[in-house]
Amino acid sequence: MFADITLESVTFKSNWKKERSLASSGCQTSELVVEEVACQSVKYKSVKTQTEDDSDKFSGFADDNSGHLAEFLRRVEPAMHKQLEMNVKSHAFDDYEVTWDEGSSTMSSIHKLTNAAHDGQFQITGLSWNSTGAVIAASYGRFDHEDWCTHKTSLCTWNLERRNLDENKPDTVLEVSSCLMCTAFHPSNPALIAGGTYNGVVIVWDLSREDDMVLTSSGIGDDSHREPVSKVIWVPDTSSLKKNKYLLVSVSSDGKMLVWKMDRKTKQIELHDGFVLMNMNLPTQLRKSRTMRGDKEVGVTCISYNNENKDSFIIGSEPGAVFKCSMSANGEQPAGNIISSIQLKSPVTFTYAHHYGPVYSAEFSPFHRNAFLTSSMDQTLRLYSMLQKQPIMTLEPGEGVIYSTKWSFSRPALFAATTDTGLLLLYDLTQNQPVPVYKLEAGGLMGNNARAPVLTCQFNQHQNNLIATGDAMGCIQVFRISDSLKTPLSRDLEILGELVDITTES
Amino acid sequence: MAEVEETFKRIQAHKGVIGVIVVNSEGIPIRSTLDNSTTVQYAGLISQLAAKARSTVRDIDPGNDLTFLRIRSKKHEIMVAPENEYLLIVIQNPDAV
Repeated sequence: MFADITLESVTFKSNWKKERSLASSGCQTSELVVEEVACQSVKYKSVKTQTEDDSDKFSGFADDNSGHLAEFLRRVEPAMHKQLEMNVKSHAFDDYEVTWDEGSSTMSSIHKLTNAAHDGQFQITGLSWNSTGAVIAASYGRFDHEDWCTHKTSLCTWNLERRNLDENKPDTVLEVSSCLMCTAFHPSNPALIAGGTYNGVVIVWDLSREDDMVLTSSGIGDDSHREPVSKVIWVPDTSSLKKNKYLLVSVSSDGKMLVWKMDRKTKQIELHDGFVLMNMNLPTQLRKSRTMRGDKEVGVTCISYNNENKDSFIIGSEPGAVFKCSMSANGEQPAGNIISSIQLKSPVTFTYAHHYGPVYSAEFSPFHRNAFLTSSMDQTLRLYSMLQKQPIMTLEPGEGVIYSTKWSFSRPALFAATTDTGLLLLYDLTQNQPVPVYKLEAGGLMGNNARAPVLTCQFNQHQNNLIATGDAMGCIQVFRISDSLKTPLSRDLEILGELVDITTES
Repeated sequence: MAEVEETFKRIQAHKGVIGVIVVNSEGIPIRSTLDNSTTVQYAGLISQLAAKARSTVRDIDPGNDLTFLRIRSKKHEIMVAPENEYLLIVIQNPDAV
């Protein structure tokens, strides 16, 4: 049934494939030319260096054993005395000033910085230059709230030394969930910056961090402020033995002046000390009626520390009173409605003649220990001496409310004031007339051809020819002032001293 | 020596005097009322300047010699009384009240 069958295989040739022809060939690079050379140093030299401890060199002076020193001094002393006497009495160099560098003789606006993202909704509430003088920070907010603050603003910084500075885009933008009312860079650490908000929170940012720059915040509790923080300021810690330790002081419309200390380990701020200003501290003319309760708090609008004695400071208040205070004051205050973990004392040691409206800024002179300036809503600028109740000088520029005033860091007799009409006024106390030497237009133009009020200004401590101003439209202008205004005249301090020092004969 | 101290005190007590330094002919300070580093700085720089001033005066007129050198700067005035063996340097602030 089944048988084996072998079938032949069937093949068929492809009718479209052609035979491929193959050829083999080879290639070879030409001979590589190789050369071998060796070298070897034969001579050796060994040299060592070592720094010498320099302090040993002149720890002692040369000993003089020749005994001629006394004779030499005897010979030379009369000539020296005569010259010393002449120098004190001479007027030869009185008006003689030499300028070595070219410098600029005009005032110009070199930068106009804005944050385009805000779109002009917010005003500049505070300006601060950092400890190196290269970065300027601005806090945005509004002064005209009617109730709760629901704005979302930010703290912006610009580094003016960068080549690719974009004037409409800040280098760093730190978001804040309410309006920021003030800001201050740390005096020695260029990365730390503090700010106070409308909700009463004091925040410290660390700009050297990568993501969340908020270092610490005072939070909203019984211990912190309940009303907008009007000013934050860094003050050297006099009680600490180490140099470079600073305390953060914040003042607010709730009358409290709180002193915060930063814990080194946890990097959090804690309430260290506190003061409160109450109705009973006000002078009698400012207390509206006798039935006004003495234990109601009075809002504090500005604070400034004395440049020589860091224990003493001045504050300006909402009714217009100006007080001299001390960090170690221990006045009793009625308990009132304040709940606080630290006893809040009265800091007032002396009351000055008051302004007729809220005092918007108070500043001690960086050169003279008794002179300070105040500016207020009553459109006047006053120069006070710490020792006298009445102001030494009252200036009324007639340009509306004076929002801020600052002393120059390089010239003892120069100060700036910013006005409601959008001007930056520069005053020179060495001039005889009480008029500003310069009026700069610092506010941006608004719709009705008026200028926006300039709310704050700040001199640059390191580059003394720069001053920055911030206006109500959110624009910051950095001005370069002429050399004649930045280099101090030799008699500046003397003239300031003459104005401010009280002599017993007068 | 008491006399040297007295003289130093008298000069230092003058109005506006910031410091007094005596330097020897090699430019090394002998006595001073200022701190170490400032003294060394003044001693080195001023003795070089005084030597240059002296050679300038003598080059112009070989019969002449330097008697006193005053350098006035924005902040103060440095007065130098030169001699063969020593140099007296006094720094004064003429505007000091």
